[in-house]
Amino acid sequence: MNSYEHTIIAREDLSESQSGKLITKYKSIISENSGKILKTEEWGLRILSTKLKNNKKGFYIHLKLEGNGRTIEELEKAENIDNMLIRYLTVKVKKHDLDLNYFDKKQY
Amino acid sequence: MKRKKRDKKKARSSSANKLSLFQKPGIKFFRPCPLSGKDAPIIDYKNIKLLRKYMSESNRILPSRITSVSQKKQKELSRAIKRARLLALI
Repeated sequence: MNSYEHTIIAREDLSESQSGKLITKYKSIISENSGKILKTEEWGLRILSTKLKNNKKGFYIHLKLEGNGRTIEELEKAENIDNMLIRYLTVKVKKHDLDLNYFDKKQY
Repeated sequence: MKRKKRDKKKARSSSANKLSLFQKPGIKFFRPCPLSGKDAPIIDYKNIKLLRKYMSESNRILPSRITSVSQKKQKELSRAIKRARLLALI
């Protein structure tokens, strides 16, 4: 089992019910493919530093998960088709830091 | 006679030490790496506040000869900055 950090940027015009559906959809994909989610962070609506696919703002969702290469493959396959997303990034880490959240306004 | 010669040599060497024009700036300008050591901050692509310190105003990565970051940490730093750029955080 490897540990990964996965970040999704969704479109600005996403309603709350839709964003909830989006998270549950990808959570189910991960759990189906022998993955395990340890923590989800919502960084909220942020202004993008550069325009991405003609969008100025984006809704950030950050997942900390455990799984194998197959899990990530299936996850990214589903995300490539989804037109509600702007971009995603997967980073492999040695160890998860579950306490620290750089985008929490109370801490920083 | 011998003593006098020695004294002269000593005087010369001491005066040469005072001259700073042709001295190498080895010890004087040395600064330890701010990102390695015990209480150093962790380099991470989510820590935008830290990454901003090592970038110019026009969002370019500063060279390590200016910031005196060690070679190992500079590699980590540039990777973190490029990841943050991909997510449009910086």
